[in-house]
Amino acid sequence: MAAGASIKPDGILKQLGELWTTMAKPEAAELSEGGVLRACAMTLISFVDDEEDALALGDILASLMKEHPSRAVVVRLKEGEDFLDARVFAQCWMPFGHRRQICCEQVEITASMDRLADVASLVGPIAVPDLPRMILLRSARLVRAGALRKILALGDKIIVDSARAGAPGFGELGGLLDAGHITGDLAWTRITELRALLAQLLDKRRPASILIEYAGKEAGPESRYLEAWLASSLEGCQVGLKGSGGAGDGKPRAIHVDTDLAVEIGHGAAEYDIGTLHRRASMSACSDQELLNSELSIVGHDLVFERALNHITA
Amino acid sequence: MVIYGANGDLTKRKLMPALYRLAYEGRLAPGFAVIGLSRTAMSSDDFRDRMKDSVKKFLEDSPFDEDLWTSFAQGIFYLAGDVADQASYEAVRKCLSEVEESRKTEGNVLFYLSTQPSQYAQIAEGLGAAGLNKGNGWRRIVIEKPFGHDLKSAVELNARLQKVFEEKEIYRIDHYLGKETVQNIMAFRFGNGIFEPLWNRTYIDHVQITAAESIGVEGRGAYYQEAGALRDMIQNHLLQVMATVTMEPASSFTSDAVRDERAKLLRAVRIMRPDQVPDNAVAGQYGSGRSGSEKVPGFREEKGVHPDSQTDTYAAVTFLIDNWRWAGVPFYIRTGKALPKRVSEIAIQFRTAPLAMFRKATAGAETVPNMLILRIQPEEGISLRFVSKRPGSGMQLRPVSMDFNYGSSFGERSPSAYETLLLDAITGDATLYTRQDMVEASWSAVQPILDYWSTQKFAFPNYEAGTWGPKESDEMLARWGHTWRRP
Repeated sequence: MAAGASIKPDGILKQLGELWTTMAKPEAAELSEGGVLRACAMTLISFVDDEEDALALGDILASLMKEHPSRAVVVRLKEGEDFLDARVFAQCWMPFGHRRQICCEQVEITASMDRLADVASLVGPIAVPDLPRMILLRSARLVRAGALRKILALGDKIIVDSARAGAPGFGELGGLLDAGHITGDLAWTRITELRALLAQLLDKRRPASILIEYAGKEAGPESRYLEAWLASSLEGCQVGLKGSGGAGDGKPRAIHVDTDLAVEIGHGAAEYDIGTLHRRASMSACSDQELLNSELSIVGHDLVFERALNHITA
Repeated sequence: MVIYGANGDLTKRKLMPALYRLAYEGRLAPGFAVIGLSRTAMSSDDFRDRMKDSVKKFLEDSPFDEDLWTSFAQGIFYLAGDVADQASYEAVRKCLSEVEESRKTEGNVLFYLSTQPSQYAQIAEGLGAAGLNKGNGWRRIVIEKPFGHDLKSAVELNARLQKVFEEKEIYRIDHYLGKETVQNIMAFRFGNGIFEPLWNRTYIDHVQITAAESIGVEGRGAYYQEAGALRDMIQNHLLQVMATVTMEPASSFTSDAVRDERAKLLRAVRIMRPDQVPDNAVAGQYGSGRSGSEKVPGFREEKGVHPDSQTDTYAAVTFLIDNWRWAGVPFYIRTGKALPKRVSEIAIQFRTAPLAMFRKATAGAETVPNMLILRIQPEEGISLRFVSKRPGSGMQLRPVSMDFNYGSSFGERSPSAYETLLLDAITGDATLYTRQDMVEASWSAVQPILDYWSTQKFAFPNYEAGTWGPKESDEMLARWGHTWRRP
């Protein structure tokens, strides 16, 4: 579709229909002997800012389609005025040893910020009926925009990464929760392995105090979530945060439980001593794709996350 | 085939392209001829040229073959005349005689009334007075909706038509019934064994039928103002669709057997009392809004529309069917203009599993009911929604959809509704046409709503163009504990 042309939901849906009809035709199916399989388990609506992030997101979406096949709607928000364009295409992959390609459809919408109202009226009708609608919010421009609420109302679940620059703050996330949205935060997902380790270590203990030491002067969202999770899970336990000072990313680097247990985090692992035993647990630095993969698996409310978020915003 | 109103939009957009396509497929007899009649003065050659342009423009998914057109056009004739003037019927008779002689049509004639509805009875009577209702071969008359503008006028129209033509010669066209996917409802229900046992009040919670248009009236405001959504869509198309979804199986796939079952179902629709209308029917009218990049003006801003118009551009109704199979199951029907997308579909929601045994594992999420979607347009097909366990540890359930798509499954062109219906009328198969008793039963179902609405002063507009209608429509379903599906 040319920029400036009329862009309506029906036009995009028609193009999607034609796309699949074309791919089902024998001459197209010859590309893979077994034809193509249209796979879709959700609508994944991603808002991104610039071309660089859109490209990075393209790679992520291509990886995600194996576990979370979706109708991916990528909305690229750009500076400038009065620009709205849309195109549709399919992404396919062939599982090893199979004869049939698995394909997912993608709609790419490029819009200037002054056309956000148009974007809202485009995206809602093109979502796949009856399947979850996930919104991935990576656009700082959108977070600052007045139409944010209207856009977010299109989704069943809103996923952000509060560790990214320009991401919504805890107050805004709490506001979304209060408004009834299911929310997810990749900063929370990032500490899943660490939480699993701590849950094991603290399973038989009733600690009186826990101190989370983070790198830098200001606690990052991962450290804040960890503190909130521990405080909301361990009744009567004093949970605190302490910065190392100097430069740092604000992520947890050590957890001190009472006076006898210290978990040091760094170099892709967590290390601690139990009695005379020195233990080391792998803490892989998850990629965005792995984090999203995990977060997209949770369609409903994540009650533990919501309790932690409520603890922070209380 | 004699077309009254031959210079109108329907002839250009639908009838002539459908006839050409039937000729392209070799489904019309070699001597098939069309006599067009309207008030506009022009020669047969001029008419042929206009029709050629229309066929080229409105022919969908088909190539235009110049040689075929040349051959097809030899059978196209035109007469200028006024239907109020009996001389025009004499001219038709003379032309028919010549065509019968020259093209060996054996006296078979299909009259197609594509005129103002107010002229239907007059034309039928004119044909009768000229003796054109009888001849050497069969005589049939096709009329377009609306069949009357209320129950009383429908009864009157039927009575006047039946003075000239027998009921079996009257073909009331409802193009929705000619759509492949509507026909497929019967194939789906009665050609498969697995769904029909579930097709009743025991297993089905409720049914939603949606016919949404994304465009507004777009210059047709003056016409639409006289009709409204309830009359234009629900009284005819959507009640017929509902009857197809809910009727009992016919003993055979013959015209009267199928239509008997449809009629029986329509007679079982509960007639509302006036005091029940506010809770079970919602009228709406759109104000200005957006559809993608386009600004949609409000209905009252359209040319020819009264600034205080009370016309319903949106209507939603809860129908109940008082029979053994459907007692207590609500059927929600909605239709409207300037809605977010163009879609027509039937959503059948089944009852939830009796025990929510996975509730704990799904963090308190409610059980997702199974849903069967019969998509009529634009992407014709069938979807079944169910929940599935997500691979991995734990018991995480999520909705998934199993999808059948006509376009990609068959890969071949579906005939348009008019191709199907015209060919049926020519071959004498009235299965997909509506009968007098069906028309009157469906008018009976909506008449109390029309009567009640005519006494009301609505606070229109009550929904923004590009949204799914007024909030009262959501409230209507909420009273039953239901919500509209997002198509």
